[in-house]
Amino acid sequence: MSTRINPDFKNELTHFGKDEWNECYHCGNCTAICPLSKDGFLFPRKDLRAIQMGLQDKLDASLEPWLCYYCGECSETCPRDANPAELMMTLRRYLTSRYDKSGLAKLFYTNHIWEYVVLGLMFLAIVVAFLVFLPLKTDAALMVNESGGVMINSLVEGINAERFIGIIEYGDWTMAIVIALLLVSNIVVMFYKSVLSENGIRIPFSSYFTEAWQLVWNFATQSRFSKCDDKQYWIGHLLLMTGYTIMFILVVVFLPLFQIETVEPWWHWQRLLGYYATFGILFFLTIVTIKRLQKRDVKLKYSHPSDWIFIVMLALTTISGILVHIFRLQGMVAATYYTYVIHLAILVPMLMVEVPFSKWSHLAYRPFAIYFARLKTVAAEVEKEKSHKELVPAVGS
Amino acid sequence: MEKTRIGVYVCWCGTNIAMMVDVEAVAKEMESRQNVVLARTYKYMCSDPGQDMVIRDIKEHKLNRVVIAACSPRIHENTFRKALENAGLNPYMLQMANIREQNSWVHSDRIEATRKAKSLVAGAVSRVNHHQPLNKREVPVNPASLIIGGGISGITAALELADAGKRVYLVEKESELGGIAAMLDLTSPHFYSISDSLKTLIRRIEVHQNIKVYMDSQVKQINGYVGNFNGEIKIGNKKVKNIDFGNIVVATGLKPIKPETIENYGYGVFSEVITSLDFEQVLKKGSVLNAYGIKPKNVAIIHCVGSRNEDYKPYCSRTCCMTALKYANMIRSALPEANVYQMYADMRAYGKHCEELYADTSGKNVLFLMYDQREGMPIIEKDAIGPGVLIKFNERLSGEDIEVPAELVILMTAMESGKDAKSISQMTGTSLDANGFFIEKHPKLDPVSTTTDGVYVVGSCQSPKNIPESVSQARAATANILATIAKGYVEVEVITAEVNEDICCGCQFCIQVCPYGANNYDQRKAVSSVNEALCKGCGTCGSACPSGAISTRHFTDKQILSQIEGIMAEVGSG
Repeated sequence: MSTRINPDFKNELTHFGKDEWNECYHCGNCTAICPLSKDGFLFPRKDLRAIQMGLQDKLDASLEPWLCYYCGECSETCPRDANPAELMMTLRRYLTSRYDKSGLAKLFYTNHIWEYVVLGLMFLAIVVAFLVFLPLKTDAALMVNESGGVMINSLVEGINAERFIGIIEYGDWTMAIVIALLLVSNIVVMFYKSVLSENGIRIPFSSYFTEAWQLVWNFATQSRFSKCDDKQYWIGHLLLMTGYTIMFILVVVFLPLFQIETVEPWWHWQRLLGYYATFGILFFLTIVTIKRLQKRDVKLKYSHPSDWIFIVMLALTTISGILVHIFRLQGMVAATYYTYVIHLAILVPMLMVEVPFSKWSHLAYRPFAIYFARLKTVAAEVEKEKSHKELVPAVGS
Repeated sequence: MEKTRIGVYVCWCGTNIAMMVDVEAVAKEMESRQNVVLARTYKYMCSDPGQDMVIRDIKEHKLNRVVIAACSPRIHENTFRKALENAGLNPYMLQMANIREQNSWVHSDRIEATRKAKSLVAGAVSRVNHHQPLNKREVPVNPASLIIGGGISGITAALELADAGKRVYLVEKESELGGIAAMLDLTSPHFYSISDSLKTLIRRIEVHQNIKVYMDSQVKQINGYVGNFNGEIKIGNKKVKNIDFGNIVVATGLKPIKPETIENYGYGVFSEVITSLDFEQVLKKGSVLNAYGIKPKNVAIIHCVGSRNEDYKPYCSRTCCMTALKYANMIRSALPEANVYQMYADMRAYGKHCEELYADTSGKNVLFLMYDQREGMPIIEKDAIGPGVLIKFNERLSGEDIEVPAELVILMTAMESGKDAKSISQMTGTSLDANGFFIEKHPKLDPVSTTTDGVYVVGSCQSPKNIPESVSQARAATANILATIAKGYVEVEVITAEVNEDICCGCQFCIQVCPYGANNYDQRKAVSSVNEALCKGCGTCGSACPSGAISTRHFTDKQILSQIEGIMAEVGSG
């Protein structure tokens, strides 16, 4: 069955990234230099070709953009400055919008004004909700206990401590469930497009379980990234990712641990983990911000609006979080309250918009792509072995 | 008759010969031979002192034959012939024995090599006894030239010669001058209007007092040899004109193949499919429309149609890649919204400013799709859902089987040799290669001459060429011709065949075997005769003659047999 080419397709991609793919004349140096391009998953040249020719189904089914860690070596090697690394980034944005059936991801990527509008509206909604329904008590300034902890039960007007904590916690968990459902549904779409819709592929049922460790292992260590030649980025990225994940789990899943009135000593595990996470996030953010502004690194020369939204939102969340922490330790009740409200008003829209619909989704897609790629490899190996077995008696007779 | 006095010189060639051959022993052995007056050795016979030694000996010892045992005669025979001439001796009184390439370089046993050297030199001594003096012949040159073909090559050659004040006969089989170039709109890679330039050149030809143009005409017969040709030209349907000229420029060009023969492209079946020359006419009209008068949304340009494919033409047609890029540019400016596809087997952007055009075009949203010339030629069929045709093939850079809709398909057809190439090659005594193109004398060092003196092949009759290449070749040929005319005469080969008319039985076998068309049959005398201006002295007729009537000067039976006798005779060992 032959595919009808669609040269107009590449116009759809122009908003997802920098369109330098017309420059490519297919020497294949990018694929040859890439240490990750192997075992039947070859990139980035083939994906670039699929864009030029408008082979949309092939691109939709492609796992390769997630298997790439954007080390940028291909772009440095490219004799035509076609920037294949940026192309892989573009494809990740495109695929994110394809997995998301709501159309929001596509809207945010192709018209980022909408992203600002949604983020802004959610920010306002949260601020207004707090000021109207949970305003600061007028005499809150007095309510600080011996250890410096702010007494929550006397912080906000007209509500007791348990109700307040409950509202925050249930809101938090609802958000986590919504995000998780969105991500899971997107991953199902990804699985359908990349694995199930491929003709003639039969995944052995047992391999779904035997290969599952890939998911956890690659999520936790990003060991695939370590195979890129530039190890610094792997370490930096690992710092950011572990920091972010620790923080995410702490505040989203174990929020009740924080909603207490006592202040733990600095060596308490909770505080140490928090400091590690803060350091990891700030350290990598600073480096990436500087490099993106310098535009010296080939791979960080071009920044999509979504890259900046990612950096700015994360930075604001982290800084507001640090301020809440400082104000709380200092017993500055009003300052704690207002920075806390602002912190939430940044954090919640960031998670709600960025995780299922934008750049942060790669946190989930990457390990699943590696898992799915592994399943396909196993299926191919089984198929090969089977055809080999069928051949053997034929040769013998 | 003067007594034969032979001088023998054995060269050391530094150590090249002396290391494997005892040169002194060879010289000593020769001293005792009949008619040998002296035998010497020297380090480098070809050096000035070596040649001076020969000249001095000829004068002092009254030598009238010289044998030089040294390297291959291909290297230094002319050197020593000149030396003999300087000493007042006929240059053909020399015989060389090759004891380097055929002896010292290939042997490892010094005793055996020395014995072989003695035999070879003995053969030369034996042969030189029978050498006859031969005299060089010069023939005057007719300054007029015949140019066959009025394309860009022929036009250029005609104007060059005519501007130099020489008479030119320009024969064109069509009713218009200009050839293929006249069918083009713009050139590539520079996008000049070739028709404008051609109009000026043609106008100059028409009014030039030194040029006689024969339109709708064909050369029917050519006789004679360099400097003195004679030809018959058929003008129109009946009139035959006889003209004399000294040189011939063959500029018969080429023609596109018939794309109907390659069925998968559907030329003649689908009106959407046209050839590149068809498209030039479309461009000349000023707008890009297909056969239905519709502005196409998708234009496909298919490269290598019939080129570089063993089933059709194995060679590259050379001009199509750049022409295809030119089309992409012109379509892009005429139809900014259209999709333009280049379906190619390999892109060849050789030459000045061509790679630049390729790079420039690839940046203009032109999609380059690669197909396999041997196994994956595109197949064109009717599009079931769209208005035009579908082009199906396996795209090599993606590995995908694809189909491309198009409302206009341009076939970059291969170019093949003109249909009268064969008859003209026979008339002019030149050869064609396996593809029917004229063969030049040397592909690198003598690219416009042929093995027939006075006949030049220029432009696309040699192989597909672009305009600058054709113009350069035409000018190169005219430079050669003008040099010959300036000299006033040409030297012709003296080592030629001769017919003993008393023995010749008139079987005409020699005429059949002669590769140069130099043998003629004299009806009145009923014997063969040799045109010495055409004869190259190859000896084919001499060995073919059943009655032994033909002998080749300087290679007579007597000379060859005596050389064999000399080689076979006993020589002293060591």
